[in-house]
Amino acid sequence: MSGIRRIPWAVVLRAFAIQGSWNYETLTGTGFAFVILPELKRIYEDADALEAAVRRHETTFNSHPYLAPLALGAVIRMEQDGEDPAVIDRFKAALRGSLGTLGDQLVWAGWRPISVLFALALLLGGVPWWAAILLFLLLYNTLHLMLMVWGLRVGLSEGRQVADRLRASLVRTTQPRLMTTGSFAVGLVLTLVIARGVPALDPGPGPIWIALAAAAAVAGALWGERARRVGVAGVVALAVTGLALGVAT
Amino acid sequence: MSSWLALAVLGGLVGLDTTSFPQIMISRPVVAGALTGALFGRPLEGVAVGFLIEAFSLIVLPVGAARYPESGTAAVAATGAYLAAVPPGVHAGPLVLVLAFALGWERLTGSTVVLHRRNNGRILTRGPITALQLERRHLAAMTLDFLRGAAVSVGGGLLGYGLLAVATPYWQLNSLTTAAVLTVLAAAMVGTAVPLFGGLRSRRAPLLVGIVAGVALAMLLP
Repeated sequence: MSGIRRIPWAVVLRAFAIQGSWNYETLTGTGFAFVILPELKRIYEDADALEAAVRRHETTFNSHPYLAPLALGAVIRMEQDGEDPAVIDRFKAALRGSLGTLGDQLVWAGWRPISVLFALALLLGGVPWWAAILLFLLLYNTLHLMLMVWGLRVGLSEGRQVADRLRASLVRTTQPRLMTTGSFAVGLVLTLVIARGVPALDPGPGPIWIALAAAAAVAGALWGERARRVGVAGVVALAVTGLALGVAT
Repeated sequence: MSSWLALAVLGGLVGLDTTSFPQIMISRPVVAGALTGALFGRPLEGVAVGFLIEAFSLIVLPVGAARYPESGTAAVAATGAYLAAVPPGVHAGPLVLVLAFALGWERLTGSTVVLHRRNNGRILTRGPITALQLERRHLAAMTLDFLRGAAVSVGGGLLGYGLLAVATPYWQLNSLTTAAVLTVLAAAMVGTAVPLFGGLRSRRAPLLVGIVAGVALAMLLP
């Protein structure tokens, strides 16, 4: 079963669009079928067989988009090997939950906020805006692309055994390191925001305001999402106050 | 006219990047704001607007089928509005107004995402479709998402421009005080990211190291 076959670059390119037709009925199911279609056309030369395969893959599927190539590669491999369609359906159903959860933890709640915090730190540190943005995009997308190509390689290589490989991979053990890096990044950005204020908005705040900002940061850290709601209300209150003063005078 | 067309194209690309294609994060508010600013030759204003919206977006995660505000197109719209209505430079009062507008507009743009996804369901899952239909409809869904992003960016930009043009002359709060309050709010929002990485208790050491590094950097920087 093992042994990497050629990387289907058409699938890699289409994998970036797996969520292009996201809907509440099949989630990314139609996107899944869209991505593997070039390979299905190679496997099923008979038109009826191709249409039947497309219909099988248009059903419900969901996964984190960056880890979806694991499932895409594995399913392509299973189709190439002539696996029973019922087995492929069960395989997709079994894999989708874990790929979603793992990707959410690893990327959405880990790598992405860390990369964003890195960009904010650069901006607050006085790095030219274009360099900060470019470095952020390069840093973030290097892992993005690596994860997608790795997933497709492993899926194609391991086929239905991909879950075992996933369990043994670094992806599973990376989260604690991301949390440590993220905590460091938050501490760094918090201090720079408090000390230097909003980029390009001179001058920075005075001592009393620095103390208030530090207290607000602690409140944000303790209350999380609730603090965001209070923050939104705070912006609206500030806007109303600033305008009300003007109207009154 | 050409400026609003450029804003529409950028907004379309940002809207597309949020979910549909390719998710390379030009849809992050700080990137979208900076790019919008750069498009009109005023990148620093775009960075300031995008930075503030980004601070409020740090803990918004696109998990599962959750409905969430779409901050990328809101950043394009808000930056466009700021650039059109406010004289060159980063001014604290208009920055507050445009941030308040963006935080409301991102909820509306998030609603358009829900409508778009419902429409995708209608065009793609009414019954079995052929391989050719699948390709065409998938690409059509992406095209509609691009147009949606363009529409909410230009619509928001125009509305925000009108509101800012009317409201800005009435702003009377001292700019130093306003800037300081904005810093307090930004610090609170960056603080909300702490629970993402385990909270104050479980990752106290790296958080403290980050704070010390930040203090050292702040002292070294001019």
